[in-house]
Amino acid sequence: MHLDRGFWTATAVIVLLSLAGLLFWIFVPITGIMPEAVDRARQIDLLYRFLAASGTALLAAVFGYIFYFVFRFRRRPNQSPDEIGLQIHDNHRLEFWWTLIPALYILALAIVSVNLFFQIEPVNAQGNTLVVEALGHQWYYTFRYPGIHGEVKDLHLPVGQPVTMHVSAYDVIHSFWIPDMRLKADMVPGLINTLVFTPTRVGKYELLCTEFCGEFHGEMRSGTSQDHAWVYIEPRAKYQAWYDATQKAQANVSDAIQVVSSGAVNLSGGNPAKGHAIFVAKCSACHALGPFDQKIVGPGLKGVLHDPQHPNLVNGEKATPEDVAKILQNGFNGPMGTMPNQTSNGLSDKDIADLVAYLNTLK
Amino acid sequence: MAVAAVHSGGIADHIHPEPEGFLRKYVFSLDHKIIGIQYIVTAGIFMILAGALAELIRVQLMKANGGFMTPDTYNAVFTMHGSTMVWFVIIPLLTGGFGNLVMPVQIGARDVAFPWLNMIAYWIFPVAGLMLYSSFLMGAPVAGWTEYPPMSLQGGAGTSMWCAAVFLVGVGSTMTGMNFLVTILKMRAPGMTFTRMPLFVWGQFVTAPLLMIATTALGAALAALFIQREFGVPFFDPAKGGSALLWQHMFWFYSHPAVYIMILPAFGMISEVFPTFARKPIFGYKMIAFSSCAIAILGFMVWAHHMFTSGMAPTLQLPFMVLTMLIAIPTGVKIFSWTATLFGGILEFSTAMLYSVGFLLLFTIGGVTGVFLAAVPFDLHAHGTYFIVAHFHYVIAGGSVMGALAALYYWYPKMTGRLMNEKMGKWSFWLYMIGMNGTFLPMHWLGLWGMPRRYAVYDPQFQTWNQIESWFSFVMTASILLTIFNALWSIKYGKPSGPNPWKARTLEWQIPSPMPYYNFKHIPSVFSAPYDFAEPLPYRGLEEELTDSPPPVPVGAH
Repeated sequence: MHLDRGFWTATAVIVLLSLAGLLFWIFVPITGIMPEAVDRARQIDLLYRFLAASGTALLAAVFGYIFYFVFRFRRRPNQSPDEIGLQIHDNHRLEFWWTLIPALYILALAIVSVNLFFQIEPVNAQGNTLVVEALGHQWYYTFRYPGIHGEVKDLHLPVGQPVTMHVSAYDVIHSFWIPDMRLKADMVPGLINTLVFTPTRVGKYELLCTEFCGEFHGEMRSGTSQDHAWVYIEPRAKYQAWYDATQKAQANVSDAIQVVSSGAVNLSGGNPAKGHAIFVAKCSACHALGPFDQKIVGPGLKGVLHDPQHPNLVNGEKATPEDVAKILQNGFNGPMGTMPNQTSNGLSDKDIADLVAYLNTLK
Repeated sequence: MAVAAVHSGGIADHIHPEPEGFLRKYVFSLDHKIIGIQYIVTAGIFMILAGALAELIRVQLMKANGGFMTPDTYNAVFTMHGSTMVWFVIIPLLTGGFGNLVMPVQIGARDVAFPWLNMIAYWIFPVAGLMLYSSFLMGAPVAGWTEYPPMSLQGGAGTSMWCAAVFLVGVGSTMTGMNFLVTILKMRAPGMTFTRMPLFVWGQFVTAPLLMIATTALGAALAALFIQREFGVPFFDPAKGGSALLWQHMFWFYSHPAVYIMILPAFGMISEVFPTFARKPIFGYKMIAFSSCAIAILGFMVWAHHMFTSGMAPTLQLPFMVLTMLIAIPTGVKIFSWTATLFGGILEFSTAMLYSVGFLLLFTIGGVTGVFLAAVPFDLHAHGTYFIVAHFHYVIAGGSVMGALAALYYWYPKMTGRLMNEKMGKWSFWLYMIGMNGTFLPMHWLGLWGMPRRYAVYDPQFQTWNQIESWFSFVMTASILLTIFNALWSIKYGKPSGPNPWKARTLEWQIPSPMPYYNFKHIPSVFSAPYDFAEPLPYRGLEEELTDSPPPVPVGAH
């Protein structure tokens, strides 16, 4: 047989090589190349180390044996052309183990990944989260902040502040990627994707589009021109100063989303119980009663008139009953989606008054 | 007599008269071998085109600020590179090409089940290819080979032509899949049970249903995109009640199985080459065959792993992640079995064997990075970057193309009666290995460091690595050109091969090279698996194949 001393020596060398590969990835300083600018980046890097270490160990083992067999079993000049190799068809014990061990590895990997997945996936906005909207355009980004009119060019975030980012797009699919944060979400027209994270490191970071979006896709990244966004993670005081200055500077900017006014509905005397019945019949196909993130087609409506964290509807401020009525009247056509107007939905002015009264009860 | 003799398996052992005249013999041929060669040659021509486009990409990326092409031209170039390589090179080469050339002979049949369908399926392919390239004249498609709407709704008229061309080539693929499935189910020689089929036949057998089922989903998606572009029905327009993600689901429902369409036949190819040049049976025949079935079935259940960043319910992401990881198990079984096949062999490093070992090495890298990408949290970082480009080029250029090159060097004598030049072959192998790794290995870290794919201009900090990749890509191109030159040169100057130059044991090697029109004078019977080098050949009825005895008498056309 060929399971001789040479084979076991080779096996020992291969095992050592595998271990070396394993150790390399455990100790390689990833942050020396790419900072981990948010809380979850470290966890993703830990998963990456796990993957890279096990992958390298596996490659070292497979490559080691292939190279050893190729060298050891090559045809020698003195071998007759009729000589044949070892006539083995299979080895059930070996096949059992090399199915079971990868299966266990996959099981471990699945557990690690699922666990991490639940740690980093968007959870419903907690009390003190900062809600920001990021919007993709061909070929630049803009951001909307609660309390600031219009859209701003750069993303400013206070360090240590939990952030909920809702991303969407105006024209085609874009993507929102900050490599130093290991964060990515596609910006799909008509759909809201959500990222939840907490910045942990002050600095200026690159933001890039990774979903092909047309002619100047390659320029949709920080620094290619004045108009392209950077991400600034700042100490709270500096952030607050920026926020106040921007709020003041944009006080008179009109919002991108225009609602055509066609005479206000009289909201007095709305009946919440009737409103509930209308909601079930005409609204619940697209809107849940859960929090904003619980979207069906449109966003969840819990707290739409009360929760200061519910994304601003029209003018960057907490929605008023009049704002909601305007949208019910005129419909809505913005980057986050489309809602039919009063006529298409078959709502009378009285229905709108009832619906607003009902929505006002959702706290 | 062979004429009209009916075997117990129910196979009518009769042949049609050999066609006369150049047109019926070489152009509109019904012969699976000629059709196979037609596919291989046509795919080779498209490979030169798509390779030239690839080099245009690499020249553009030599400079971070581009300048060689306008961004719009660059987008058209990589769109056409991807579309051509997937639908007009790899899939036709591996299924219609080598599948047609070898599979019917390996099961002991005289032709495929539906020769007319076979001919039509082939002729759709060059016509669709001309349509695809005509789109350059009317504003080439620029939204990438994936053509995600709404981007693809903005493209010029060529995008509609792209839809039509890919739809047509898909129709041809579906026909081929159906044809091969029926052929393998119904046309095997007596005694050719499923566990005696050569592994290349197994590769085609599991690929055929994928071609049939998955390609129809692509056809539906393409039809919808075409209808929206030309007639304005808003399938993919969210403002009018459509969904931008609908396309992605339909597209990947095809395009993930398509990855297996591109790799399963290559698994079969190297499973033929390893035993022949190791002079020993393939290790774990049944596990290799069954793991192919497992991969094909699982391949239908993982498409959404291309869409982890697109916006999906988390509860939907998890099953796709776990199912994707599961594919690593049958794939690992294959890799270990091939490695074990080398153990204790008498390894003869012909060019075909070198390419097969190269396949094993590079495909393993592509497989490992595939497991990385299955893990959602990691994929959220790597998605849409050069890491993806590296991963799938290791699978396709390192796996499928290497498998096809091994197959070309291995089965070339069966097409021409001559051997390809081994010296040129070995040069081409080493150039390919060096060029391929130099081009695609650095893309792994470039992607993780922050270089997105499909950028016509990019961050200057990555320029040095991109220049290195571009220089290596020229080496890779040189290797392919050398192989093409070798294939042309050897038609006339190659060493005559004789029927069985590699002393291989499957049926195609037991008949003359090039293979005669009727394949077998008498349909053989099979009584064992083909890879037992210590045993006599497991076939009966082949005694006259290499003698001067007369060929079977045609029963006349009907």
